[in-house]
Amino acid sequence: MTPVDIDSIDLFFNAKSVAIYGASASQNSVGQAIVQNFIKPQYTGKVYGVNPKYTQVLGIPCFPSLQEIEDSVDLVVVAVPARLTPRVFEDIARKGSKAVIVISGGFSETGPRGAEIEDEIVAIAKKGNVRIIGPNCVGVVDTHSHIDTFFLPEYRCGRPKPSNVANISLVSQSGAFAAAISDWTAELGLGISKLISLGNKCDVDDDDLLCYLGDDSTTQVICYYTEGYDEEKGRSFFDTAKTVTPYKPVLVVKSGRGQRAKAASMSHTGSLAGSDNVADAAYKQAGIIRPGNFEQMFDMAKALAMQPPARGDRVLMITNGGGLGVMTTDALELLGLNIPTPSSELEKRFNERLPAYCAVGNPIDVVGDANSSRYDVVLEEAIVSGEYDIFVVGMLLQTPSLEMDVTNVIANHQRSSGLPFVVVSMGGGFTTKAGEIMALMGVPTYATGEKAALAVKALAQYGEIKYGDKFNKTAT
Amino acid sequence: MKEAKKIFKTALEEGRTFVLENEAKDIMEGYGIPIPPYATATTADEAVEKSKSIGFPVVLKILSKDILHKSDAGGVKVNLKDEDAVRRAFDEIMKNVKSFGKEKGIDVDLSRGVFVSAFADMGIEMIVGVTKDPQFGHALMVGLGGIFVEVLKDVSFRLIPFTESDAREMLGELKAYKILEGVRGEGPRDVDALIKIMLAISKMVDENPEIIELDCNPAFVYAKGKGAVVVDARILIDGSGKPASH
Repeated sequence: MTPVDIDSIDLFFNAKSVAIYGASASQNSVGQAIVQNFIKPQYTGKVYGVNPKYTQVLGIPCFPSLQEIEDSVDLVVVAVPARLTPRVFEDIARKGSKAVIVISGGFSETGPRGAEIEDEIVAIAKKGNVRIIGPNCVGVVDTHSHIDTFFLPEYRCGRPKPSNVANISLVSQSGAFAAAISDWTAELGLGISKLISLGNKCDVDDDDLLCYLGDDSTTQVICYYTEGYDEEKGRSFFDTAKTVTPYKPVLVVKSGRGQRAKAASMSHTGSLAGSDNVADAAYKQAGIIRPGNFEQMFDMAKALAMQPPARGDRVLMITNGGGLGVMTTDALELLGLNIPTPSSELEKRFNERLPAYCAVGNPIDVVGDANSSRYDVVLEEAIVSGEYDIFVVGMLLQTPSLEMDVTNVIANHQRSSGLPFVVVSMGGGFTTKAGEIMALMGVPTYATGEKAALAVKALAQYGEIKYGDKFNKTAT
Repeated sequence: MKEAKKIFKTALEEGRTFVLENEAKDIMEGYGIPIPPYATATTADEAVEKSKSIGFPVVLKILSKDILHKSDAGGVKVNLKDEDAVRRAFDEIMKNVKSFGKEKGIDVDLSRGVFVSAFADMGIEMIVGVTKDPQFGHALMVGLGGIFVEVLKDVSFRLIPFTESDAREMLGELKAYKILEGVRGEGPRDVDALIKIMLAISKMVDENPEIIELDCNPAFVYAKGKGAVVVDARILIDGSGKPASH
């Protein structure tokens, strides 16, 4: 295994000068959409176009080749037909640029002729020590440097923003998914650092980015969407993941639960393996969390980005609505978490400080006329008792007695205890806004008990990965 | 281990990508994997002699470069209790395999004779196997063995190499783990002995990456403190001639 050169990958996210090969003046073209991203004031580096047809595109200077550009070019974005790319790569190698994103399709994904061209550009790039992302991808979005090669206009496809609490980075084999995630996370207000679409992975692959993102101070949680790995590349990803997961959560959604390995097998073991059983085992062994789908991945990643991992699996659910309490604890139980009832001593203290008609147990129901002080009492006593590792707070804001100051109570207890908290707040417009406020205060908030339970599961699962034998596992 | 490399070289030279049972067990013994006492015999007389020194009852199995699936060829006789039974079994195996070869149109090589092994006491039947995944490389599988493996598919995987705590976790993932822990008056089984086998196979494959598939099916796991043995072993190796890796 050759060590990944992190500096060579860093150019893709921190290039100070960018050339767009195939910059175009025609509206709605890929070559124009990319130029539009880079002329936004947020990007502070230099931008050039390369296209013999123009001397300028949207106000940026345009040249027949890279050689006419006086300054050095850190990153080249290629959006020209595949057949022209070998010549483009000769030009790149001569210019001495070290990072290239090939947006264009028409390579190995189309058949042997395309694969030949792909091999050709890889060979030229290797000689010049040039790194390639793609081809057949949408490239990268970096919310800090504002490098953005997604050829999707912003009014169609929103761009996420970084959060000052913690950020997620996503690596996706599929460009379409990367774009949808960009749009979706922009809407959700989830803090994102980087989105990377890998396409055909002719050079830069999952493993390179895992090394880079593991080391990246603006990324707190690493997410992957992958359809599979090239031969033996799953193994190198596994090896790298083992070194990253003790200090940073890694989540992988892998599709293609294929049965390829089965066909040729002569042993029982081979016929039972399939690719997915082995992938599943590899992820588990490397401390990678494998959500079932995208929605689950982001519910989990949100909690992992905003909250500390749990030191154990004992969960307390506090709610002002019985139904929400039971629904959430059902979901928690199904996910293998422990929901212990309070000790008699703790129960006594709850009873002393709460009205007699509150239902003390787990879930603990502070009932419909609760105000924030009942939450305060419960959280204070429960935290002091040391009987719980994770808190789920049900916050039904339809009741008039519960005011917005409950968000302060929750956030303060979370901060002072340093224990992981998850909030579930079901409802319409008012509730959604309150949830956004809660999330801004650092506590992840979910619209259903099931989603909150999954977030709790992620915090416990990562706690177990991080703390190993020191994780207090009590569920049987 | 040099012994293993020599065996693989011989196999490939003979045009087979599987190793013979005695060879597989020689390799495994080298890694400290418990195997019931065994020997090889090329004549009925020799089979009797070897059986006597191993102790009855014994099992006889065909040893030939041309036969991978021994039972299908009528090449296995079990629970042979005395000299006569061994002598009869030897002759029958030779006859069965020869006519099996005729049906298939192959001139089966019978020069290696048979594999003679102690007939192991029955234990909980487990399977320990290895597969080489194209993306992730070598992985070890463990599960309830024998005929159950195909029906219940109660198996668990880890990439090779793995740690002892991985091995324990694998067993914990099996639905059959309750059987190993002991249920309804059946005492607990020797899980530590099974884990030793799993770790030894992990080491063996780690050091011999040309192994592409391996089945120990069954391995018998006895009562706690009584150990475990690999009863039947099959090893397939990479015949492509490419340098092997994980």
